[in-house]
Amino acid sequence: MKIRAILAAATAGVLSLGLAACGGEEEPSTGPVSLRMTVWSSNEAHLKLFNEIADAYQAKNPRVTEVKFDPIPFESYTTTLTTQIAGGNGPDLAWLLENSAPDFVGSGALLPLDDTLAKADGYNAADLSPAATKLWQAGGKLFAYPFSTSPFGVFVNIDQLKAAGQQTPAELIAANQWTWEKAVAVAAASATKSGKAGLVVRDFDYKGWDNLSTVWTGWGAQAWSADGKTCGFDQQPMVDAMTFLHKAIFTDKALPGPGTTADFFAGEAAMTVTQISRASLLKEAKFGWDLVPLPTGPKGQYAVIGQAGLGALKKGKNADVAADFLAFFTNPENSAKLAAYFPPPRTSLLTADTLAKTNPLLKPEQLQKVVIDGISGGVVKPSHTGQAEIAQAVRAALDPLWKPDADIKAVLGGVCSAINPLLAK
Amino acid sequence: MSRRAKTAVYGVLCLLALPFLFPTWWMVTSSLKPVNDVFAFPPSLWPTDVSFDAYAKAFELQPFARQYFNSMYIAALVTIGTLAVSSLAGYAFARIRFKGANFWFVVILVGLLIPSEVTIVPLFKMFDAWGMVDTHWPLILVPILGAPSVLATFIMRQFFLALPGELEEAAKVDGLGRFAIFRLIALPLARPALGAVAIFTFLHSWNLYLEPIVFLSSSEMFTLPQALTQFVDAYGGPMWDIQLSAASLTALPVLVVFVIAQRQFIEGLAHTGLKG
Amino acid sequence: MSTRFWTGSRRDTLAGYLFIAPQLIGSVLFVFVPLGLVFWYSLHEWNVLADTFTFVGGENYQALADDPKLADALVATGFFSAGLVVLNLSLALLLAVLLNQRLRGTVFFRTVFFSPVVVSLVAWTIVWSFLLQDNGGINGLLELVGVDGPNWLRGEGTAMLAVIVVQVVKNVGLNMVLFLAALQGVPANLYEAATVDGATRRRQFLSITVPMISPTILLTSIITVVGSLQVFAQIAVLTQGGPGTSTTVLVYYLYQQAFQFHHFGYGATLSVLLFAIVLLLTLVQWRMRRKWVFHES
Repeated sequence: MKIRAILAAATAGVLSLGLAACGGEEEPSTGPVSLRMTVWSSNEAHLKLFNEIADAYQAKNPRVTEVKFDPIPFESYTTTLTTQIAGGNGPDLAWLLENSAPDFVGSGALLPLDDTLAKADGYNAADLSPAATKLWQAGGKLFAYPFSTSPFGVFVNIDQLKAAGQQTPAELIAANQWTWEKAVAVAAASATKSGKAGLVVRDFDYKGWDNLSTVWTGWGAQAWSADGKTCGFDQQPMVDAMTFLHKAIFTDKALPGPGTTADFFAGEAAMTVTQISRASLLKEAKFGWDLVPLPTGPKGQYAVIGQAGLGALKKGKNADVAADFLAFFTNPENSAKLAAYFPPPRTSLLTADTLAKTNPLLKPEQLQKVVIDGISGGVVKPSHTGQAEIAQAVRAALDPLWKPDADIKAVLGGVCSAINPLLAK
Repeated sequence: MSRRAKTAVYGVLCLLALPFLFPTWWMVTSSLKPVNDVFAFPPSLWPTDVSFDAYAKAFELQPFARQYFNSMYIAALVTIGTLAVSSLAGYAFARIRFKGANFWFVVILVGLLIPSEVTIVPLFKMFDAWGMVDTHWPLILVPILGAPSVLATFIMRQFFLALPGELEEAAKVDGLGRFAIFRLIALPLARPALGAVAIFTFLHSWNLYLEPIVFLSSSEMFTLPQALTQFVDAYGGPMWDIQLSAASLTALPVLVVFVIAQRQFIEGLAHTGLKG
Repeated sequence: MSTRFWTGSRRDTLAGYLFIAPQLIGSVLFVFVPLGLVFWYSLHEWNVLADTFTFVGGENYQALADDPKLADALVATGFFSAGLVVLNLSLALLLAVLLNQRLRGTVFFRTVFFSPVVVSLVAWTIVWSFLLQDNGGINGLLELVGVDGPNWLRGEGTAMLAVIVVQVVKNVGLNMVLFLAALQGVPANLYEAATVDGATRRRQFLSITVPMISPTILLTSIITVVGSLQVFAQIAVLTQGGPGTSTTVLVYYLYQQAFQFHHFGYGATLSVLLFAIVLLLTLVQWRMRRKWVFHES
């Protein structure tokens, strides 16, 4: 009898919690409001700036008693965020990575921002660069503000190149010879000389394959078509790009092989392809360095950007207040402050002079060439609805490519057969 | 044993000891090297250029001392709580004849079979409903009362089963109640088993990784394993040297305590009912 | 009056339930209710982001049968668990036998072999992820003796081997200590008698030692099997399930489906499957004890 009673109690608990899973929205309250925003930076300078902006907001809106910035590790960011949402404990605002943008934008988890931004004083939403906001829109509405639109560039360790007797990228650019062929040759020569790594595609590490779009875009290749329905891995541009990359890794040894870590910012590599926001890591660099645009590929010049958006979650208890704070956080005045760390999407701020004030490490010329030109013409890293599952499938299917004797065409065909069912969803 | 056999045994032991010692050695020495030397190939076994910078940075970048305290006090509470819960239950299952004892024992044993990944989502929802997310309660309550304490109960039961009953009989004749017998007679005799359970439990709590990640979100609430993975730059790039110093800081004190008290540690473990 | 009511057995029943109450309530609250909820979720399609929770009956269970990746995960799990259990138990037994000799320095070696047990799992795994890199410490050591080590975490076979070895070295000390205690509990006169009868040491080991410590072997093997099915942080730090899907064991696949791909309903279904497997394996081992465990206490 006892067992039955316990089972009954358990079942009741199960039912109530199960129902809670599909629970409805809560009444908007008029009492004090505290907001929580998940971010992936635990950088003190970043958080200090955020808190200053939040304090200013609270001074104007006494109803908001607290704005809390919750750093979640980058590595597990989207996973943790989703778990919190699943548990009914999602934040009010969240940073979003570009690779999760289609999932969040398309699912209806976020509050459309257009009305709030239009109402905000002096917001000037028209100032936002269309290239930057494209990823964060669905059905003509903006669901997140791309607070960081960071182009990829090549950081160069000048000392290492010079020691190897190589021309620097700046010289190559002046001679109109800054191509991938040349970049790989320079990297290989430097690696041989220094015994360190040549060129590192940062965060690729033979897992984060979407970072390779910084290379293959130069061949006109893409992971999938713009509508997301057709796989691009088995098409000729991709085969050519990957053949080039494979040779650069295994024949020329210009890129460190699989399972080898080399940190450019610690002086372990001659060059690295990464987002320009990493320039802050060079503050204490003990070597001469430069930042240049990506080399040209067979298809000519190109740029690739990585993005991060800021959205307000619809399910939050005070979604309207959250959206209002978002508008304040990203208004022209605060955007200018944030530009110190995150390249802004506002065209009015995208001048070499403005950016130079907040990015003392970079020269105006570098800012113009890499940042401003990059943002206006850049291709965003690949993203798709259900990105995590597709990314995992591509990673697993690409693994056989990272061997000296790989059959490149067959492997890339395999990638397509692995992800075609997922693209079709 | 012949001399040759002895040499052979020592040889095998030394060879086998290598993978057990080398990682810790490498971790500690590398944490003292400048970051460029961490990846030197082949690795140097001794830091040439000792620097404690990375250790200082570990405390600058995160409230590391606070996180250390969190891990310590959570593990201590969990250990004390588990000792209480498991010795009570283990004693009852071994020494008190009551209806349904076997049935409930098997029911409780189910907890031993559940990987924490299986129940983490519903647990998260439950603790959220009770307003306990981003507090240490889930990390304290679940190990003490839930699945992790089942192994402790099992060990305690096995130990009490093997205990001779005469003392208890005598105490009963003297008119002592059940709880008094448990507290005054059985528990003092159970010291080795309690020691083993304490070690198991402390290490389990100290190592918990998935649960803190899921339940905690503010850095001043973090526990050590979680904090270790947080030494990354603003863009997720790991700061190798700092990670290694922080890892050394989490491992070394426990190792030192272990080396000092290793006889009690190991013999306590060995003398539990786990012998079968 | 009350003395009459409280007969010994009633009193004992009350005491018994009071003693086990915390554990029992805890088990219901933190084991059975969540387990029930997981089963409930497994009957639903749960999209966290869109906030939909739809009853789909047995559809997720149907999907198990049609999921080619699940088959891969089960194969990987089989390899991992079998490799881990065999390596862990045989190494533990070998170490215990070696340390059971009357030799100087056994306390030192015992401490060495047990020490990884007390090192934090995440710290341990992070360190090994450095050591196992192509230009890492292991290959550096191998080069000192003239061996060109493989790229451990990038080869399909070596990645699995590496994950198993890292896990075995971390935890073998526990089993070693348990075996050591069991070995010391084998009465010495059994060996003396066997020696008089002219039995070889190998023969003594197989006919005396193994049967005498068989209850410990059973217990350690159950704990090790159950533990092997729960390995998560190691895979997450060392291989993330790769290369290919060669180290994507069931728990890691479950984690991917639920937490990374946001298929919480299907993730719950995989949880139910994992629980069923653990339960089944434990029952099988428990039944087998009658066949080969020498004495039952």
